[in-house]
Amino acid sequence: MSGADSAIDEAARTRGPEKESHMTTHATPHARTSGGPRFTSGALVTLEVRRALRNKKFLFFSVIYPALLFVIIAGGADSTTEVDGTGLALPAFMMVSMASFGALTAVLMGNSERIAKERQSGWVRQLRLTSLPGRGYVLAKTASAAVVSLPSIVVVFVTAAAVKDVRLDAWQWLALTGAIWAGSLCFAALGVAVGYSATGDAVRPVTMILYFALSLLGGLWMPTTTFPHWLQTLADWTPTHAYAALGRAIELGGAPHARDVVLLLAYFLVFAGGAAWLYRKDTLKA
Amino acid sequence: MSAVSFDRVTKKYGDVVAVDGLSLDLYPGETVALLGPNGAGKSSTLDLLLGLRRPDSGTVRVFGTGPREAITAGRVGAMLQSGGLMDEVTVGELVRLACDLHPRPYRVQDVLAAAGIDQIADRRVNKLSGGQEQRVRFALATAGANDLIVLDEPTTGMDVTARQAFWATMREQADRGRAVLFATHYLEEADAIADRVLVLHRGRLLADGTAAEIKARAGARKVSFDLDELRENGAALEQRLRGLPFLSTLDISGHTVRLQSTDADATVYALYGLGVHPRNLEVAGLGLEQAFVAITAAEEARSA
Repeated sequence: MSGADSAIDEAARTRGPEKESHMTTHATPHARTSGGPRFTSGALVTLEVRRALRNKKFLFFSVIYPALLFVIIAGGADSTTEVDGTGLALPAFMMVSMASFGALTAVLMGNSERIAKERQSGWVRQLRLTSLPGRGYVLAKTASAAVVSLPSIVVVFVTAAAVKDVRLDAWQWLALTGAIWAGSLCFAALGVAVGYSATGDAVRPVTMILYFALSLLGGLWMPTTTFPHWLQTLADWTPTHAYAALGRAIELGGAPHARDVVLLLAYFLVFAGGAAWLYRKDTLKA
Repeated sequence: MSAVSFDRVTKKYGDVVAVDGLSLDLYPGETVALLGPNGAGKSSTLDLLLGLRRPDSGTVRVFGTGPREAITAGRVGAMLQSGGLMDEVTVGELVRLACDLHPRPYRVQDVLAAAGIDQIADRRVNKLSGGQEQRVRFALATAGANDLIVLDEPTTGMDVTARQAFWATMREQADRGRAVLFATHYLEEADAIADRVLVLHRGRLLADGTAAEIKARAGARKVSFDLDELRENGAALEQRLRGLPFLSTLDISGHTVRLQSTDADATVYALYGLGVHPRNLEVAGLGLEQAFVAITAAEEARSA
């Protein structure tokens, strides 16, 4: 017998025999068949993922759109001229930009608007009346966003390889996917923070401003080398810049630079800390 | 052991005292109605009970533990007015989630059937009518073997038939030995369903007893009769009627007299003593609604 089942039996015993005799027909709770400790958040994660995959508009914007943008921007470029000071040709450069952009879209948009909306509708409150641990909700939101961000990364890669003949070693493809996917967690945390700070009408503009500013300044749409010097300096410190730099370092055959990893990690800690703080504040207010 | 125990619980929002030193105990098997005018602290009380808010002082225990622990153990199911639903999923998926999250779940099919939504299990949650939504909320609150069910204005948005069906289901739950606590605006529901009625006013417990006791507590009974003599010398007779003992209100329209008395027997006796001939005499108890109004109005007057 699993631990969970014996815990249920224990609970039933302590409630006493008098209560049990009332239980008739469908009132018999069915025993859980799965062994081991229960992962309560799993049920919500599954449903959130299923829901995300059902949302066509969201899927289009986060999965198809980045690949489409890649074709538009890099489509006419030749594969030999390198982007100033990067050592990468435009298609390879833009491939990482768009993969990062797609992942950013999926996790930032996926988290912020939904959380704000569901706080307002009272669904978050309703969930707090279940045995789901508080962090389970945030976990499920982030997991579902990550499930959508993975195909968005892969679709950009496939498009770049097929349309613009971008060629990398097998380890590079894998490392790229892993780095961009893992790095997107930073923005998932930002999405959670925005979802818990803004409400209703405010959340979309706030998300949009962050989304465009981060994409633009981070050089996801165009190389920051075209920016004036002061803006380049600023861009250098954005999380999206560090994020895209992870992928570019891998494309050049090396490991991501320590500075970028540390910067991204620092942003992650700030965003996650902020999200946790806002979440707790919201919980007390309920 | 009591299902719910509030011990001198106070909750303030800024200067507003929503719950003021509230102490009460609910026991397994009881069906309890929570009544009170708007702003009486009903929702705050339920929030405290469910651990959605923390009291500023005092303690809330649910089955001997904190509210959150009781919910995590699957002992409490709740249906909130403000409880939203996850959209873009089907009714069946949502109920399955509730069952999956419950430590002592029922079968999804059974929960759907008990809530009367097995026919709409494939429908998207965002395409439901208000009454159907309430049923889904009810299903979420009864997805497992809870020992306490808390309902905040559960029948809002339901038509009369749906309301009756809802209470039939609810009574079944109570018959299984669950404690049921519900807040409602419909006093006839409290009257018909609850074994115990709590009247909350300004965050304090104003009355606690059976519906009959609450009505008696309001003290008054209604007396009405027709008095033909009023046609002849109305003013003088009205003066004498106002002098009747134990009168709390008196209303004359045409030759019909309606009054409330805190001792109807004595008032009627004195009425005959006036030498008049009342016809169609009726003596009746107050409805719970009137009792509720009388109790809260008396409290308003006392604190003003």
